[in-house]
Amino acid sequence: MTENDTKTMEIDKSKTSWVFFVLVVIGVAAFVFGLTSGHPERAWQAYLINFLLWSAIAQGAVLFSAVMHMTNARWSGPLSGLSESFVAFFPISYILFLVLFLGRAYIFPWLHEDLHGKEVWLNIPFLFTRDCIGLLILYIFGFGYLFNALQLKFDPNQPRGKLRQSIFEAWKRNHRKPEDIKRRMTVWGGLYILAFALVLSLIGFDLVMSMDPHWISTLFGAYHFVKAFFIGLGALIILAAIIRIRRGEASGIKANHFHDIGKLFFGFCLLWADFFYVQLMVIYYGNIPEETHYVIVRTMLAPWNKLAWIVFLVCFVGPFFILLNKSIKTKPILMVVICTVVIVGIWFEHLLLLGPALNHGAQTIPLSISDGLISLGFLGLMVIAIGYFLHEFPEITLRTKEA
Amino acid sequence: MPPKRHIMGLFKSEDKVVSAINALKQSSYQFIRVNTPIPSHKIMDALQLKSSWVGWFTLCGGILGFIGGFALAIFTATRWNLIVSGKPIIAIIPFVVVGFEVTILGSVFGNVLGLLTQTRLPSFRWLRYYDPRCSGEHFGVLAACEIEKEDGLKDFFQKQGAEVRVFESIKENSQL
Repeated sequence: MTENDTKTMEIDKSKTSWVFFVLVVIGVAAFVFGLTSGHPERAWQAYLINFLLWSAIAQGAVLFSAVMHMTNARWSGPLSGLSESFVAFFPISYILFLVLFLGRAYIFPWLHEDLHGKEVWLNIPFLFTRDCIGLLILYIFGFGYLFNALQLKFDPNQPRGKLRQSIFEAWKRNHRKPEDIKRRMTVWGGLYILAFALVLSLIGFDLVMSMDPHWISTLFGAYHFVKAFFIGLGALIILAAIIRIRRGEASGIKANHFHDIGKLFFGFCLLWADFFYVQLMVIYYGNIPEETHYVIVRTMLAPWNKLAWIVFLVCFVGPFFILLNKSIKTKPILMVVICTVVIVGIWFEHLLLLGPALNHGAQTIPLSISDGLISLGFLGLMVIAIGYFLHEFPEITLRTKEA
Repeated sequence: MPPKRHIMGLFKSEDKVVSAINALKQSSYQFIRVNTPIPSHKIMDALQLKSSWVGWFTLCGGILGFIGGFALAIFTATRWNLIVSGKPIIAIIPFVVVGFEVTILGSVFGNVLGLLTQTRLPSFRWLRYYDPRCSGEHFGVLAACEIEKEDGLKDFFQKQGAEVRVFESIKENSQL
């Protein structure tokens, strides 16, 4: 690929980039307005849902590249490099998690409850300490993997910013051979995959399952990280499709790439639904009141039962039947629509999991315009982070030299 | 119908096969088929085959299996009407397991049935114009022409970079 080709991959600071800054400002304003209004718990609920959703998207998308490298896959081509751009959201995600500490009084309904011995695990200092450490480890592994992966694609002829220059100097000091870099990628990638499963399980237990502290499901952690990979793939398809639509053939992303990642997305749609079902099945047969109440409230009682059906249709039934078709999977525009709908559906799924615990006795689904605005703010943050990264490293979508 | 000569061009390069297929389709020679030792997207694209019906057989098998699985579970449950742990006789959640498993089974049966009917198996006619090297390191492109044009077709394959094998004529309407 020539220098011109790599330049065409660049997502420059176009006229539209300010739109996303405006979205962030709107999101922050909506959040602050929510805090100062009569219902700060609603603002924190939206914040928590968006933190979980957008962090999972970034973590899951980066996992794609690590998995491709570890399995020695060749089919992903430029998609693998593109998925590494989601690392740019990691620092933001970490800061967002730290901010969550300020809303602890609103997002942990168990704070003033009798936990019957669970206080050892469910207490604020321990919870934030372990999650802080877990996320830090996960993100360090992500950056370690990226640092090495970038080296295989780096084009020294590209114009350099300060970040590029400092990374380039670090590489020159180390002066490693490609085989050595690949070995290091294997180590960092393996650690990232392991940390992904463990840390996302921990986050799932601590920030989602613990909202109903007397309900337990040992599979909930796995359900949470499978969901993260599912929506990470969805976001990656959206990014690839946008680049393909904007840059055409020069992007190097072909119909076959969309077909293959579409199949993977379809597969994880099934796996996500399966992980939900296997939990449901055990609870159904066990028929223990302290387990069944969680499912009954969310799937059989108003107002949450309607939301459960929407999530089921939007995140499983719809994608399942649509993605059976090969031709649809190769169409970038259609895939953008499908993946966007699925991600919005998973947003609602988070609301379904968290909402009943945070809104006892709700007569209607607690949704308002400010939830949408706060979500748009998070979207803006994600787009700005990825846009910055692709601007700094436009060659990232090149096929790795190992391919 | 005048007897035809069947000639196979044996290639070692996938790209040369693609080039030969495209050139054959432009020529007056009758393109018959390609024997390839490996699945090849490039060759599949060059052949421009009609989309297969096998997928529809699989889908129909899956749908029938899904309905059949639930029907089987419901039928057997209603034969006994035993209430276990307060669960309903017709309990959708556990029946999903049976429905799912029989969906897979139905899909597999549909797929095999589709494969057998669409490829007209069992058939041994393809062995008549076959070179065993096509199960090894060669790609075989089979074409036919009138006997008087035999030299032209051989020359065509040689120009494409192939090793040529000429088959003896067999009297039949060759739907290979």
